[in-house]
Amino acid sequence: MSAIDRRDFLKIVGGGAAGAGAGFLVKESSKARREQYIPYVATPEDFTPGIATWYKTVCQQCSAGCGIEVRVREGRAKKIEGNPLHPVSQGRSCALGQSALNVLYNPDRLREPQQRRGERGSGAVAPISWEQAYTTVAERLAAIRRAGRGDRIALVTGTTRGHLHDLQEILMGGIGSDRYLQYDFTTPQTLLAANQATYGRTELPYYDIANADFLLSFGADYLSHWLSPVHYSIGYGNLRQGDRARGQIVQIEPRMSLSGANADRWVPARPGSEGLIALAMANRISGGAHGLSAYTIERAATASGLEGNVIAELAEAFAAAGRPLAIAGGSAAHSTNGTANAAAVNVLNSIAGGAVVANPDPVIGSGADQRRAAFGDIKQLIADMSVGRIEALVIADTNLLHTVPDSLGLRAAMEAVPFIAAISPFVDETSAMADIILAPHSGLESWADDVPQPGVGLSTASIAQPVVAPIHDTRAYGDILIELGRRLGSDMAEVLPWDNGYNYLRARWREIHETRATALNMDFDTFWNNVLQAGVWAEDRKGPPLPAPAVVLDPGDSGGPDEEYPFYFQPYLSQAWLDGRAANLPWQQELPDPLTSVVYNSWIELNPETASRMQLSDGDVVEVRSASGSLRAPVVVYPAVRPDVISMPIGQGHRTFGRYASERGANPLSILNDTTDRDSDTLAWCATTVSIAKTGEHVNLIRMSGTPRELGRSILGPYGEGGKPAPHSGEDEHHG
Amino acid sequence: MANIVEKWKKFREPGYFGKFDYHWGMVIDLDRCSGCEACVVACQAENNLPIVGEQRFAQNREIKWIRIERYWEGEYPDTRLTFVPMLCQHCDQAPCETACPVFATYHNQDGLNTQIYNRCIGTRTCAVYCPYEVRYFNWFTYEWAEPLEQQLNPDVSVREKGVMEKCTFCIQRIRQAKDHAKDRGGDKRVRDGEVTPACVQACPTEAMVFGDFYDPDSAVSLAARSDRNYRVLEKLNTTPSVVYLRKVEAHG
Repeated sequence: MSAIDRRDFLKIVGGGAAGAGAGFLVKESSKARREQYIPYVATPEDFTPGIATWYKTVCQQCSAGCGIEVRVREGRAKKIEGNPLHPVSQGRSCALGQSALNVLYNPDRLREPQQRRGERGSGAVAPISWEQAYTTVAERLAAIRRAGRGDRIALVTGTTRGHLHDLQEILMGGIGSDRYLQYDFTTPQTLLAANQATYGRTELPYYDIANADFLLSFGADYLSHWLSPVHYSIGYGNLRQGDRARGQIVQIEPRMSLSGANADRWVPARPGSEGLIALAMANRISGGAHGLSAYTIERAATASGLEGNVIAELAEAFAAAGRPLAIAGGSAAHSTNGTANAAAVNVLNSIAGGAVVANPDPVIGSGADQRRAAFGDIKQLIADMSVGRIEALVIADTNLLHTVPDSLGLRAAMEAVPFIAAISPFVDETSAMADIILAPHSGLESWADDVPQPGVGLSTASIAQPVVAPIHDTRAYGDILIELGRRLGSDMAEVLPWDNGYNYLRARWREIHETRATALNMDFDTFWNNVLQAGVWAEDRKGPPLPAPAVVLDPGDSGGPDEEYPFYFQPYLSQAWLDGRAANLPWQQELPDPLTSVVYNSWIELNPETASRMQLSDGDVVEVRSASGSLRAPVVVYPAVRPDVISMPIGQGHRTFGRYASERGANPLSILNDTTDRDSDTLAWCATTVSIAKTGEHVNLIRMSGTPRELGRSILGPYGEGGKPAPHSGEDEHHG
Repeated sequence: MANIVEKWKKFREPGYFGKFDYHWGMVIDLDRCSGCEACVVACQAENNLPIVGEQRFAQNREIKWIRIERYWEGEYPDTRLTFVPMLCQHCDQAPCETACPVFATYHNQDGLNTQIYNRCIGTRTCAVYCPYEVRYFNWFTYEWAEPLEQQLNPDVSVREKGVMEKCTFCIQRIRQAKDHAKDRGGDKRVRDGEVTPACVQACPTEAMVFGDFYDPDSAVSLAARSDRNYRVLEKLNTTPSVVYLRKVEAHG
């Protein structure tokens, strides 16, 4: 920010036209770094000094697709709230969503395109002009295409839905390549595979937590990052203290997650045994029908390490509930039998009448599911890159190198690719490998559209609109794709006939409008503006009824620790950093972990008994070793994790990711074994086993917590009442 | 001196707060709170809380107007955890107010416990007196790495080294609502639901309710009548404006 001294300020304000006040053109000055302050002669219509403007758009921090509204003052985004009209977020938001402002105003965000200056991966870059950047990328890609090897150009993006997905299809179709993949570590691949097996639909149904009265979660941390956490949190509040009787929640997982901490009962089963528990419950409830007779409670008890009567009680409670619901995530979904476990949970839901509803097919961007990269696709890509079958790689906003285990050799394979271009707002591990980085707008500066997944059982779509003018010399993602595409050859203008991403989006929504012109009964501009103003568009179109499960995948034995590697290693998505993409956001780095209150570091969690046996205490650094690698991290003695489990948050351990994330902590994904799920081509990221060894080092963990126990201090309830209700209604006494 | 003592006596008259225009207060339902910390970031965004950095955080110099406290009970495998959002309780009989030598912290006409930054001389006495430990001192003047400062809320002062700060119940939002109410005519009072602090607005489990305790029909008054109500450290007789609803005992 250029320095404005008091005299300058008075000049500007004094010299301003009547009513212009402090409305000088800061936006322009910060963009071009000119030392000029020009009062508005005619202020933009949405710009009144001192009055906030609110814009509705779509949150792009995770893939849930919450509708948000952003408070804008004097052309700058100030605060994010949930969009009250949006069926997913219903006016509510989460910590990660709030921090989208840290992306927009991140000091490490790229302000213009960059060219690599050092070795690949070093992160050394220097700015270049857009013309240079486009020319360089387009020339490389066009040369490959002209030589008839367009199929050797690969595009890997993060989760991209809606019409931007279609645009990517169109672009790659024009290039003549089918190598277009979407890779997102958080994509619930095994749930999708299980739903394909049991429901015949590769989609996520709507889990109606709000109206369930008994929620049984097999490792799904639905209050933190499982699928659609804001919506499920709203549901949780309603389940607990809504209009009906208080619903019950049981969480089965080896390490107490945020959701486990909020359950009525936390059941630490052995990782990977969840499917057998679910099938034993289903067997008990159905009385051995549906070919379930082999799944006995005894078998589940042996596999899980739980008492048989615990499982029987759960089955009784689940069967007795009016609207039970079982969900799967965490170790259930990411062990070697993850798909089978998730399918088993589907079976349990079907037999007990679980609160699950199919979503209708997405109204826009259908087919994006088919582009979701299975783990095998990534391995194939790595193999192809290694032998030179990929001549150019375009990577858009997905940090492959941070989220793919080191054992796959991705880094070396990328070294072998002659040309890499990244479309990334930051220099991260992956974009640092690129020769050219094209700097896109942040989500709050761009046009896009989206169908939330999982939805809410209705057909909805939202348009993401820019809430502020771009603050840097960046380009919209859609514009970049169109501009690059059109420079690849004279024939591409036919493939991509739109001037820019905005016109493309409008053209596509015009088609939606045309097919529904009678029902909508308004002209296109009115329709478009209505959708922008509401932030969401919904149709009364429901999904098909879910069929009874036809297939039962056998969860079997998921394997486990041995003498050499005696612990299950359970990485989990961090509340603050998700899969690591939010580690460069200062608010998220300073957000205490909800369960351990640690900030600015990574750690491993050890059961108190294990810790005492190994003479380890908080802050002692250990070496965690798997068959594929090792890392060092301090210990947090954690009272709610199985003694045979080591849990660790994902998200830290970045090499190159800006000032807030670089060289901080360790990345648990880096040491994962290359173990896949038995029934789907998915990385089983909860299936690695490890050993730990003392290093003798100690660090002082930064934690924001006092005494971890209440000790009768009347913090959790009234004095001397043992948590019983207060005898009188206190507020009358004090406020009457 | 005698004058001050006289003033204090008047100030401490039982029910002195009955003369204020509003009695803003909050109800936090621990049976809804999931500990997700959406409120923590929402507060940071709304109220220009600084990014203190790793070193300052390690020195306990962090500033969080609302934080989530966690209390463990039991031993593995019967471990339980309860989350308690902790923020300034806006006590009617606030210990901090009696302690400040320069009257930088006092009750305003809305019944809020407020902090006047310009008056604060940084003795930090109030923080020592506060049993809830929700007052945070600016040991440094923090900076925002360019262009993070563009996010700063123009309705809220950016504090400098040497002053105490704490939750204001988003007084800027209250002021704005009062201003609108004033222009509206009628009784010129803020209606229930017109003011929502940032933490309450963000909360995805709807664990927090905010409003005027003077209005017996306000959502916050209704919520406070739950038989699960209590105030944290009630015995200290600080009469907080934040009412908590006890977490329902888990079965099994």
